[in-house]
Amino acid sequence: MTDNFSRRDFLKLASVGAATTAILTGCGPASRYVTREPYTKMPEYTYNGQSTYYATTCRECAAGCGLVVRTMQGRAIKVEGNKNHPVNLGKTCVRGQATLHGLYNPDRVQDPAKQAKRGSRDFSSMDWDAATAVVADALKNTDPAGVAFLMGMAPDHLFDLVSDLAKAIGAPAPIRFGALGMFEARATLGKAVESLFGQAAMPFFDMGKSDLVFSFGANFLETWLSPVAFTRGFANMRRGGGHGRGTLVHFEPRMSQTASKADLWIPITPGTEGLVALAIGRIAAEARGGSLPTAFADVDVEAIAKASGVSAEKLDELGKLFASANAALAIPGGAALAHSNGLETAEAVLALNALVGGLGRAGGVFLAPLAPMQTEFSRPANMAEMADFVEKLKSGKVKTLFIHGVNPVFELPKSLGFEDALKSVQTVISFATFPDETAMQADYVFPDHHGLESWGYQRVAAGSSQSALSGAQPVVSPYYNTRATADVLLAAAASAGGVLAQALPFKDEVEFIQSKIVALVSESDGYFNAPEINTFTAYFQQYGGWWKTVDELSTPSGDALGKTIKVGEAKFAGEGEFYFHPFVSPVLGEAGANKPWLQEIPDPTTTAMWSSWVEIHPKTAEELGVDNDDVVRIVSEAGTVEAVVYKYPAIRLDTIAMPFGQGHTAYGRYAEGRGSNPADLFGEQVNGAGDLAFAGMRIKVEKTGKKYPLSRLESRMGVYGEALGEEH
Amino acid sequence: MTSTEKHHDHAQDHVAHLREQHLMLDPLPRGQMNDMVMESMHTTSWKFWVVFGILSVIVAVFLFGAWGYMIANGLGVAGVNRPSYWGIFLVNTVFWIGISHAGTFISAILRVFKAEFRRPFTRAAELMTTFGLVQAGFSIFMHMGRVWLSYWLMPIPNQRGLWPNFHSPLSWDLLAITTYLLSSTMYLFLPLIPDLAMARDRTPDGTWQKTFYRVLALGFRGTEGEWTHLRNAMNIFAFAIIPVMFSVHTIVSWDFAAATRPGWNSTIFGPYFVVGALHSGMGAVAMVLAVVQSRMKHMKYFIRGEHFEALGMLMLLVSMAWAYFFFNDYMVQWYGGDKWTQQLLHFHEGGPLGWMWFAMLVFNVVIPWATLWNKKWRSNPWLLFGVGLLINVGMWFERYIIIPISLTINRMPFTWRMYTPGVEVFLGIGTVAFFILLYMGASRLIPLIPVWEVQEGQMAHSLKTYGRETVVTVSELE
Amino acid sequence: MTTELKIPEFSANFAESGQQGKWGMAIDMDICTGCQACVAACAMENNVPFVGEADSGYGRSMHWIRTERFWEGEFPEIKMTPYQPMLCQQCGHAPCEPVCPAFATVHSQSEALNLQVYNRCVGTRYCANNCPYQVRSFNWRDFERPEPLPNQFNPDVTVRRRGVMEKCTFCIQRIHRAEDQAKSEGREIADGEFTTACAQACPADAIVFGRIDDPESAVSKLARGSRGFHMLEELGTLPSVTYLKAG
Repeated sequence: MTDNFSRRDFLKLASVGAATTAILTGCGPASRYVTREPYTKMPEYTYNGQSTYYATTCRECAAGCGLVVRTMQGRAIKVEGNKNHPVNLGKTCVRGQATLHGLYNPDRVQDPAKQAKRGSRDFSSMDWDAATAVVADALKNTDPAGVAFLMGMAPDHLFDLVSDLAKAIGAPAPIRFGALGMFEARATLGKAVESLFGQAAMPFFDMGKSDLVFSFGANFLETWLSPVAFTRGFANMRRGGGHGRGTLVHFEPRMSQTASKADLWIPITPGTEGLVALAIGRIAAEARGGSLPTAFADVDVEAIAKASGVSAEKLDELGKLFASANAALAIPGGAALAHSNGLETAEAVLALNALVGGLGRAGGVFLAPLAPMQTEFSRPANMAEMADFVEKLKSGKVKTLFIHGVNPVFELPKSLGFEDALKSVQTVISFATFPDETAMQADYVFPDHHGLESWGYQRVAAGSSQSALSGAQPVVSPYYNTRATADVLLAAAASAGGVLAQALPFKDEVEFIQSKIVALVSESDGYFNAPEINTFTAYFQQYGGWWKTVDELSTPSGDALGKTIKVGEAKFAGEGEFYFHPFVSPVLGEAGANKPWLQEIPDPTTTAMWSSWVEIHPKTAEELGVDNDDVVRIVSEAGTVEAVVYKYPAIRLDTIAMPFGQGHTAYGRYAEGRGSNPADLFGEQVNGAGDLAFAGMRIKVEKTGKKYPLSRLESRMGVYGEALGEEH
Repeated sequence: MTSTEKHHDHAQDHVAHLREQHLMLDPLPRGQMNDMVMESMHTTSWKFWVVFGILSVIVAVFLFGAWGYMIANGLGVAGVNRPSYWGIFLVNTVFWIGISHAGTFISAILRVFKAEFRRPFTRAAELMTTFGLVQAGFSIFMHMGRVWLSYWLMPIPNQRGLWPNFHSPLSWDLLAITTYLLSSTMYLFLPLIPDLAMARDRTPDGTWQKTFYRVLALGFRGTEGEWTHLRNAMNIFAFAIIPVMFSVHTIVSWDFAAATRPGWNSTIFGPYFVVGALHSGMGAVAMVLAVVQSRMKHMKYFIRGEHFEALGMLMLLVSMAWAYFFFNDYMVQWYGGDKWTQQLLHFHEGGPLGWMWFAMLVFNVVIPWATLWNKKWRSNPWLLFGVGLLINVGMWFERYIIIPISLTINRMPFTWRMYTPGVEVFLGIGTVAFFILLYMGASRLIPLIPVWEVQEGQMAHSLKTYGRETVVTVSELE
Repeated sequence: MTTELKIPEFSANFAESGQQGKWGMAIDMDICTGCQACVAACAMENNVPFVGEADSGYGRSMHWIRTERFWEGEFPEIKMTPYQPMLCQQCGHAPCEPVCPAFATVHSQSEALNLQVYNRCVGTRYCANNCPYQVRSFNWRDFERPEPLPNQFNPDVTVRRRGVMEKCTFCIQRIHRAEDQAKSEGREIADGEFTTACAQACPADAIVFGRIDDPESAVSKLARGSRGFHMLEELGTLPSVTYLKAG
């Protein structure tokens, strides 16, 4: 088990039965040491034209979809979904497909390096021994209270390792953060579930068995929580198993991709989603008869109709529709929760489910199961916690900051001043795979492998009705001189000695992972069973993880309707005349901008490529005197950005929308200097759950006189009748 | 003065007037005429060489340089895109093939119909055919994505047993254009033989020109037998090349008419294209003649107002025919009621390039009709030059409307997109420059005037006086 | 020694008939969410190059599959028309085939596919002009893919150079792989045994691919349904792709 294996043997072990394409392959723990060999020294069992498939986990977002990667002669060729994986059942999203353009990105960090001066981009390569020594030194010689770890959103093995490490030296627990979590309003969801049902948990929305879905701002077909799982749910809902074709009603000020699939899109006044939910609740409750639940008792439908811009008749129609459905489901999420009243909005929407008996009913709301080896609900940091963290950095209490898997300089609101706060930190060590903005502000960059070159596991937080731990293994050997961060930390711990070495006595990453998943060997209701850890690990890799075979959804308890839900008026920061509606680019997500093919994938609703844009209703644009391809300046209380106008016909006249995902100032040739970043406009106002109220903003739009041709797939002539020379 | 004398004077004036008006009635000694033609070839001012030099540079840079750049970098350097996959390349191809039609029309059809006014400028027109086809060839080969494999379009027996697809109009196109180029070159060459022999006999020994003429004249000495054979050959070619000429542009029109595109699949495209070709070709002949007459020595003797007048009449006739076909094509398409075609017709006149549609009608119909009805006006070389230029611009616009503009509108509105020309503009300018360059070069090497034909005509024509009237008689020579 | 040259029909019958399946696709526009996963999957599977900002905005993008959508009505009553993934319809009577002078696009009668032979293509682009669906993409340049991106190339699919027309092939490399496999095992290809890259990725399973000569296959059943229609059916192109109406 400790012998070094060549890639040849590794593949021999790994590809047993790989002759037919559908076979998943994995490998025994012994084969962890992979060396890359040239084409001329081909493993003897590798036939030309014969592929090897490896199961692993997608790292493009935190949803934890299972992948099967087709490799050929040591190269990753194609990403396919893992058919057995409970999250995605063999499917992938656009970002997952393009993950290979991250793996083989021409702008990866290729060596560990020290930066002469932060931001100078003057990197001098170093070897891994020296790099490990730097980490060991930082861990050993810094006051534990002065060590901080900032990590990506995914609850993965590295987070476990760093947690153990932090605990061992007495440092503060690592913080997980990701812009997607911010846009999803995850903390708000968790908090709302806690306050309604008395138990903090991720809600699970059983969309596939529902026949009527009211979605309040949840962009579940785009990036929200687990888009592949939700898309499957949506498709099943539309196919209508048992109930007939399901109906989707979407409330959002702008027609998003999700809204575009809705049978009815309600362009609601931003910040009134909770009120509308209450009104619908009241009307539905009345329609169902019986006594009016407390939650919807003091609801003034007329006032809500006025505030929300949804007519009383429409509300009435919607309320009755919701009451009459067989399996109605209401989902809160996204920008609807990113208001000062976001938490209450989430509660009001969740309460709708309670009203129609949707708690624990097929096609209703459940509480998502905890992932294996997880004892309590955990979530990424919300904005309030991040603000505290930034304050801590600014105070100079943090001497050494380790950053992995997140790009806070880009993702956090600029007004938070993260980049500035780094100046108060003595040493910043980034483990970035790509030369992102944060790595450019670090003293050291010790590049981690790309996700497809890495070992690991990841807990599935949402999207699966089964408790699932997604497994990851390298599908190719590392292309560059990178090293797994876990291995660096373990080596550093070993060389630091003392409590650290005692707490982390693992030879390498795989041993650490085994030490964790060994707890699952004794479980009996898993997807596979194994008598001991080595076999278990082999299966774990072969099947791409471990999950229960039965659903473990729990029914929310508590009297969700017994409490008065007070949805206040949303507060808007800033003076401008327009509401601002930022959304995550459905194609790029938070970190897709460096993948060239993703840049060229047209945005589903606008078909724009390669840049960012602002969506303005044509009438509003006319009033402002701007046209397509004009560059405008968006001014918020906290900052300004410039972007190209896209005259979008399906947005409120008083709302301006802008995608998040572009506007990088680093991050490789395909991302850098492209578009602009709406996070530069965000203020610091948060909702009741501490999530950023990014939609609670008013902005001004100013002309710049500049032009920028926005690359679009669609024809402006054919779709909008521009320059056609006739009335449409 | 007696009335007889008066009448005699009057008659003499009339004869002088007829002589002045008609080349055929104004014979010069053969030797003198031959010398005039030789002199016109050899009298070259420095201005000629300046223009020649500039055109050479343009051809080298714009045509061959830009083409090489495009071959090396792909068609992306041009402006072609989806859905305008063809762009100016095919516009120029059709344009040049159109230009080439006039030569055959004038030399073959008018020869067959024995139109006497054709005699001095059949060669000038025939040269346009050959040189225009060269440009058409350039234009069509330029547009190919992998031009280095263009021989695959030829039915050459090969080890793979692969033939070109004879269902494709493009295959026929290639064959038709090649046939036309070969036959028109031969047809240019045959009437040239006596003139080459004449030039040979008047070129000093030891010059390369002497060798050039000697080789090309094929030992022509002017015996009765040689003339008989030559006449027979020319007659056969004159008849044979007429269907080739009509077929070429008809086949070119099939490139469009056989396709499924709205605006293209029109059954009248065959004759419409032929008439369009003659329209632009006649205009081009008028332009060339105006330049030749004013710039080359002795040409005012050979080319006179009567020729422009006759050409002008032809142009007016062709313009009317074109207008009929245009109207017919438009009506049928409009009446068809297909929604995509309707959209396209709207787009033609109301789209961003609607001005081009109107300009086409003004240049092709309004201006010729407004000017050419007047005999005096149409006898004016420079007016005819102007009208010819406008007709050519108008006909180029017509092809631009049929190709890139019509390609913009298809059955998939999601893909509609305007076309902005790129490097193909330079390539187009390069073909124009190359055409002029070839023409200028030819004017220094071969007699632009078919002297023997003029002399033959002059021999056949004579003025006879019957009683008091002097009349023109033409005897049958052939 | 003489060789008899035969001019083949443009609908060349390359394979023995009945040996292979006829392939077709059904796309349910009611559940297509326009997520573009098919577009990315297709690009990754088929070595489709990206062309950059300027070219992609000028109608030169190379997507073999694209999702179209239009608008109906005015705000607030505006509706987006259902996303329609548009790809080569593999017409039974394809307008692109007869116009190619070089036989670079030919019909496979036995598989019901339009084959695109990159090696034969000389780049006249006539086929693209004549394609009513505008689904052919032309290699306007040698689009740059800096190292190490070419590591990702699928070795089963030719990398096309400048001047060559290309289009959706129904992932013919997968078809042939499955056919070879089935043949070596002496059986017919089972429905769902393999699928195209787009259908494989589609999170909504809106794209279904399979044999249309098998009335029991999933795609045949979907295509027979009342919601099915063919794009631009009036042209008589006999597409192999059936769209299912939304709603």
